[in-house]
Amino acid sequence: MNAAVPVLEARELRVAYGGHVALDIPHLAIAPGELVGVVGANGAGKSTLVNALLGWSRGAPAVSGSVRLDGEEIGALPPHRRVARGLALVPEGGAVFMRLSVAENLAAARPLSGTRGRPHDAAAIHALFPRLAERQHHAASALSGGERQMLAVARALRLGPRALLLDEPSIGLAPRLVADVLRTVRGLVGPDLSVLLVEQNVRAAIAVVDRLVLLERGRILAQGPVAAMRDDPRILEAYLGEAAA
Amino acid sequence: MNLVQQLINGIVLGHAYALIAVGWTVLLGVARLVNFGHGQIYMLAAFVTWWAVAGLGLPYPLAILVAMLAGVLIGLVMQAAMLRLTFRQDLVAIMIVTLGFGHMMRGIAGLVFGGQPQVLETPLSYIDFEIAGAWVTAQDLAVILVSIAAFALLHFGLERGTLGRTARMVAEDPKLAQLAGINVSRVYFAVFAFEGAAVALAAALVAPRTPILTSIGFEEVIVTFVVVVLGGIGSVSGSYLAGLGLGVFTALFGGFVSPAYATTAAFGVLIVVLVLRPSGLALRAGGR
Amino acid sequence: MRSWPAPLAALVAAIVIFLLPGWLGGLHGAFTVIAILAVAAYGLDIVVSDLGEVSLAHTVFFAAGAYATGLLATRLGAGGWVTLAGALLAGLLIALALGIVTLALREFVFSLVTYAATVVAAAIAHNWNLLGGSDGVSGIPTLDLSAGPLRLTAVNDAQLWPLAFLLMLLTLYAVRQFRRSRLGAMAMMVHLNPRLATMSGIDVRRVRLQVFVLSAPFSAAAGWLYAYQRAYVGPDLFETYFLVLMLTAVVLVGRRRLFGPLLGTALVIGQERFLSFGGDINAIILGGALVVALALLPGGLDGLLRRVLARRAPPIPLSETRTATQS
Repeated sequence: MNAAVPVLEARELRVAYGGHVALDIPHLAIAPGELVGVVGANGAGKSTLVNALLGWSRGAPAVSGSVRLDGEEIGALPPHRRVARGLALVPEGGAVFMRLSVAENLAAARPLSGTRGRPHDAAAIHALFPRLAERQHHAASALSGGERQMLAVARALRLGPRALLLDEPSIGLAPRLVADVLRTVRGLVGPDLSVLLVEQNVRAAIAVVDRLVLLERGRILAQGPVAAMRDDPRILEAYLGEAAA
Repeated sequence: MNLVQQLINGIVLGHAYALIAVGWTVLLGVARLVNFGHGQIYMLAAFVTWWAVAGLGLPYPLAILVAMLAGVLIGLVMQAAMLRLTFRQDLVAIMIVTLGFGHMMRGIAGLVFGGQPQVLETPLSYIDFEIAGAWVTAQDLAVILVSIAAFALLHFGLERGTLGRTARMVAEDPKLAQLAGINVSRVYFAVFAFEGAAVALAAALVAPRTPILTSIGFEEVIVTFVVVVLGGIGSVSGSYLAGLGLGVFTALFGGFVSPAYATTAAFGVLIVVLVLRPSGLALRAGGR
Repeated sequence: MRSWPAPLAALVAAIVIFLLPGWLGGLHGAFTVIAILAVAAYGLDIVVSDLGEVSLAHTVFFAAGAYATGLLATRLGAGGWVTLAGALLAGLLIALALGIVTLALREFVFSLVTYAATVVAAAIAHNWNLLGGSDGVSGIPTLDLSAGPLRLTAVNDAQLWPLAFLLMLLTLYAVRQFRRSRLGAMAMMVHLNPRLATMSGIDVRRVRLQVFVLSAPFSAAAGWLYAYQRAYVGPDLFETYFLVLMLTAVVLVGRRRLFGPLLGTALVIGQERFLSFGGDINAIILGGALVVALALLPGGLDGLLRRVLARRAPPIPLSETRTATQS
């Protein structure tokens, strides 16, 4: 595979509700082995971006533009087919099947049919998340917030995605757990798996990502390598906004 | 049969349909509830009207009131049994429970009123008018007038004033409404009482057109579904127009194509609407 | 009831149940009807318990099976195997058509349209002369399943009982296998959390359609045997009685219990046959059972038993995820 081909690439991605343009992204790409963070305040368009990449239409918006996975256009596919190609999402709040046990949740996630990614087997999952191995017979509803988030990530890894979208993994978690989860995610990124981390918690995101994209009102305000972006005044502002909140 | 006669039949029928559906409109629009026992309340109320006239010897207007009272009672009993499900907004369970109530009502009707078909003859059905070469009875006119009155009342009651605001709040978010000091369970009871009374009123006025049997009520339910869905779930004026349109359609279809398949055709309309605009059916709060 | 009992125990239980109507002094008629209607209820059970949608059209599949059987047997003199194939095909085709129409519909709108389908099917059965109109189809010959040199006919209830029993065993096995299958697991995921199911690469609509279509042959096969048992098929098959009976059977004992619908049907038919108070009161009892099971006993009789015995098993709402997503 050509290293120059991004794993996930969006071009001219626009989402409009009636006349209101909620998202306008000329270009966004994630290279193989890259962990990209999308940060922005509440309402900056982060969820809209995730939904548009996956093809979720909420309230029937007009979505236009191109989404490519490994160079192949997937922008016209329904959500489940995009997932089947290897674009997985860990939804906000660590969505898992509450009434199923940990083991059942993992078993229910089967390796995707059309992916070029590498599915994790049960042993690999347990090595990554020993906590889940200990609690495999518990119902997901009995897990703590952090464990549930781990389970959600583990479920996605079982599928063997090429690109993983992580939507606000830090929501509702204690700071120490946030760092734990994100460090685990950092460890997963490699030639087989690239990650798009959508995060409101700028401080936590900066600590792990390679590249940072700052979103505001549905537009990219700034983007670049995290080293260069760290001292960007606009990022500092986002920090401050977070501190004030 | 000529076109004018069929059109007039359709207008009468349309107002009957709208009147039959008005309870459901409120049920869905205000409380986001459903009632699959709707048709059986219609059936039971028709029997009660007949019994009040033929058995008790009451004058017809009083018999209508008796039937409405019975409808209110049935509505209250049903809501009392379902209050827990209502608060959980477990629509699927509510649906099955109301089907169960419908089955019970059929048994009760059979037990109390027997299996014989009854004909309710009202004084109004003996008065004929000729309009543009077509004949209508005073009963038909009563259906039209009462239907218009019911919808006008509802329109002004729900879309303006404190009553409407309370109803919209409950539809939007029952929990929040509770926090705002609204007695939500009382609203639910009121809505079901209204549903019962409205179906009973419709039955008392419309049922005299046909023999009353324990097995009637099914077509009325389908008609109600179509009217409510066609009119946009929970929309008062939409339901009125949908009822009228469906009535004219059914009369023309029955008159010129096949009377036996009029309900089937109405269902066909429903399917077409569902296929064309499935998203319009999403059960949104308020539903306007 | 949680785990499948040892094969030996199951075998013994099956043999006992098989011999029971004979021991009880010729109750083959009641047992046959229970088995048939339970099979019909299992079709609905898959949709209600696994997919989480309430279909009100399973009486149509049941009636379609019965009508196909009655018409093929009386008009064309078809034998038992041909009528069975016809019944299954009729059920499948109607389910496929209805499933495609209702593909995008959920919850009560889905139920509403399936209910409308039942009412329309009843109107068609009443009015279409080809289907016998209001008189229905009478004079259905006895069931003949002879194949080659093997002679197999069922003249009366005592001879129909083994067949009904076998059909019930096959149904139980099929439902159990379905719940362990990939499709069963996907149905459960779609039921519990459609969004997350999509995020696992599952085509939610396809699973819904597959399960809906798969559920129809159960009810249609029940209709097939029912036509022979009654020797008559008529529009009364569309009456709410059968619909309410199936729904009660599914929810009375507890959802997603393998033997739930069977026990539920047995309770309802048992009451009607052996403790009857006349049709009207029976209707009140049946409708009342449905109301009580859902409004007052979440989790059904099984849930009640569990609460009394162990004080556990919290009630599970029929539509768990919906209440969460609606807010």
